[in-house]
Amino acid sequence: MDKLTRRQLIKLSALAGAGALLPQQLHAFTQFLEKIPGYQKKPTVVPPPIKGFRFGMVIDLGLCIGCRRCSYGCKLENSVPDTISPPYIMVFETNPRRFTSGHPNLEKFKHKKRLMYTRLRKDKIYMPVQCNHCKDPPCAKVCPTKATYKDADGIVMVNYDKCIGCRYCMAACPYNARRFNWWEPDIPPEKVNPLVPVRPHGVVEKCTFCVHRTRLGDTTRCVEVCPNKARIFGNLNDPDSEVSKLIGSEVNFRLKEGLNTGPQIWYLTQQKRKPMKWYEPLPPPKNVRGVSP
Amino acid sequence: MKETLKAVLSHIRESVKNTGKGFYVFVGILIIVITWAFINYAQIFITGHGMSGLSDVVPWGLYISFLAFFIGASAGATIIGLLIYGFRQDDYKPMGTRAILLALVCIFGATQFVMADVGVPWRALKVPFLLRNVTSMFFISSTSYFIFMALLSAELYYAIKVTFGIGGEKAKKMAKWLGILAVPFALFVVHTFTGTIFGVVKAREFWNTPLLPIHFITSALASGFAIVILIAIITSKLKKREIVSQKTFNHMGLLLGAFLTATLFLDLTDYLIVLYSGTAEGMETWHILSERYAPLLSLNIIGMIIAIIILMFKKGRTVPGLFISSLLTIVAIMAYRINLISVGQLVPLYPEMGTLHYVPSVPEISVALGIVALMVLLYMIFAKILPMEKTVTGLADKGV
Repeated sequence: MDKLTRRQLIKLSALAGAGALLPQQLHAFTQFLEKIPGYQKKPTVVPPPIKGFRFGMVIDLGLCIGCRRCSYGCKLENSVPDTISPPYIMVFETNPRRFTSGHPNLEKFKHKKRLMYTRLRKDKIYMPVQCNHCKDPPCAKVCPTKATYKDADGIVMVNYDKCIGCRYCMAACPYNARRFNWWEPDIPPEKVNPLVPVRPHGVVEKCTFCVHRTRLGDTTRCVEVCPNKARIFGNLNDPDSEVSKLIGSEVNFRLKEGLNTGPQIWYLTQQKRKPMKWYEPLPPPKNVRGVSP
Repeated sequence: MKETLKAVLSHIRESVKNTGKGFYVFVGILIIVITWAFINYAQIFITGHGMSGLSDVVPWGLYISFLAFFIGASAGATIIGLLIYGFRQDDYKPMGTRAILLALVCIFGATQFVMADVGVPWRALKVPFLLRNVTSMFFISSTSYFIFMALLSAELYYAIKVTFGIGGEKAKKMAKWLGILAVPFALFVVHTFTGTIFGVVKAREFWNTPLLPIHFITSALASGFAIVILIAIITSKLKKREIVSQKTFNHMGLLLGAFLTATLFLDLTDYLIVLYSGTAEGMETWHILSERYAPLLSLNIIGMIIAIIILMFKKGRTVPGLFISSLLTIVAIMAYRINLISVGQLVPLYPEMGTLHYVPSVPEISVALGIVALMVLLYMIFAKILPMEKTVTGLADKGV
C-alpha cells in the first residue's frame, strides 16, 4: 500500500474525529428537538422500588360480578383521558360455556370441573383482564429503547421520556394490555391526578399496578374500589401474605401460561366465599377503536 | 473524489440539456402528490395519530406493510450486483448502477415509513446510537438499515467512478467486492431481521414461525427483481433503445419465475399449516383470511400463479409478458405483506373481544402514496443526474 501523505492523514483524522463526535452531536440535536413547544413534559417521577418485594395480584372469578368499578376507578386514578379506549382494565362478559370452550390457553380451567359461578348471575361469568406484569415480559424484550422495563419489585414500567411510539410492544403483548396515545390528551385539569401526570401524544402507556400508591405501602385503586373484594394485591415474596396463601391453597390459573411469560396475576376459579352484594354494573366502554360490537 | 465530482457535474449539465418536457410534467405531478402527503403528515402530527385507521387492538398497519415491502425490494435489487460481479453475467451491466440506486432509494423510503409510523420521530432518530436494547429486533434491524445505506452509497460511488473510468483497477475492485458483499448483508442481515421482527412475536400465531425470515428472503428476491425488470422495460421504452438484450430479458424471466415459485411454495405451506393446525387462533386466522381478506388472499396466490404460468413459456419471457408478470409479482407480494401484518393482528387476543377491524384512513393512504412518490422522484432525479451506463455519457472516451 502507498504511504499516507500528510493531506490524507489530516483528512483521515478529521473524519475519525467527526465519527467519534457523531453520537454527542446527535444527542444534542435530539435534545434541541425535545424543546419544541407542545412537547415539553416533566420527567416521569416514580417512587423507587421497595427492596425484597414482588408485587402480585389474585382475582377471584367467583366473586367478580362484572360491575366494572375497577375499570372506572383505574381510569380516574391514572389520569387516563377518554381518548384512550378500551381502558387499562377490560371486563369481558361471557357465558360460562363459551368461556371454557375453544380457548386453548384455558384448558386447565376447563378440566377443573369444580368451577362454580356467581350466585348473583348464574348465566354469566366475568373476566377482568389487564397488564399481567409478566416475569419475562415480551414487551420489554422487544422495546428498542428500553423505555419499557421490568423493575426490581416486578412491576413492568414505561419511561415516557424514552418511548418513541413504535408500538412494537403493543404488537408483542399477548394480553392486549398496552394503550397508545393516539391524540393529544384532552383531560380536564380537575380530573388529573397530581400524582400521575398526563402522558403526551405519541407514547405508549399501561397499568402500572398504581406504582405511586403501592410503592408507598398502599394498595392499587382497582383493589380498593372492588365492592366484593374479588381482587387481592400483595407481596409474593412474603409466604404469609394473603396473595401467596390464596395461590398456594386454591385452584387457579394464569392467562396464556403456554407462552411462558409468567403473568403475576392469578385467577381463582373455585369459589369459596360468596359474593356479598349485587351492584349495578357500569356500562362497558363505548366506541372502542378497531372493535366492532 | 474531486475528479468524480467534476465528471458528475459535467454529466449533469449535459443531461439537463437533453431533458424533455415530459420529465418535468411527471416530476410536477409527483411533487403535487408529495405536497398533499406532507400536509396530511403535518396534520397527523399536530392533531394525533388517531387520524390513521390504527387502534390499540391493531397497532400496526399500512406503513409497516409498506416498510416490509420496500426493505424487501431494496434487499432483492442488490442481487443484480451478485449476478454481474459474482456470476459474471455481463449482460446485466447496464442495470448494475440502476439496481444500486433502486436499492438505495427503496431503503431510504422504507425508513420514511418508520418515521411516519412512530409517535415521536425525532426520538426515533436516537435508536441505533443512543437508545438501544440489543434484544429488540427493531434495534437490530434499524442499525442494519443504517449500515446498509452506507454500504450502498459506497457501492454507488465506486460504480460511478468505474462508469467514468476514473480510479483504475482499485475502483473496479472496490465496486466488485462491495457489489458481492451487499447481497449476503441485504438478505441475511437486513431482510432476515425484518422478518424476525414479526417472527419472534409469540403472541400472534400467524407471525410466530421460523419460516418467516426465509419467506421474507424469497419474497424480497422476487419483488426486488420484479422492480428491476420493470425499470429495465420502462427505461428501454423512454430511451427508445434496448438497454438489455432479449437474451437477458429471457434470463431475467427465468430467475423471477424461480424466486416466485419458492415464494409461492412457502406461501402455500404457511396457509396450509394455519389451516391444518386446528388451534383457536389458527382457525380464526384462516377464517379472516378466507372471508374478509379473500380478495387480498386471491391476489396473492392467483397473482403469483398467473405470473409463474406466463414466465413458464418462452414467449412469456419477452417484454410484454415480463411487464405483466412483474406487475403481478409486485401486487401479489404487496398483498402478502398486507395480509401478513393485518391478519396477524386481527385475530383477537381474547375470544370475548369481538370482531376487530382495520381500514387505512385517507390521510394514512395519502402519506403512504406520498412516500412512494418521493421514492419515484428520487430515483428519477438521480437516474438523470448520475451516469447509469458507459454508453450514455461517453465521458470516459473524452478523457474527462
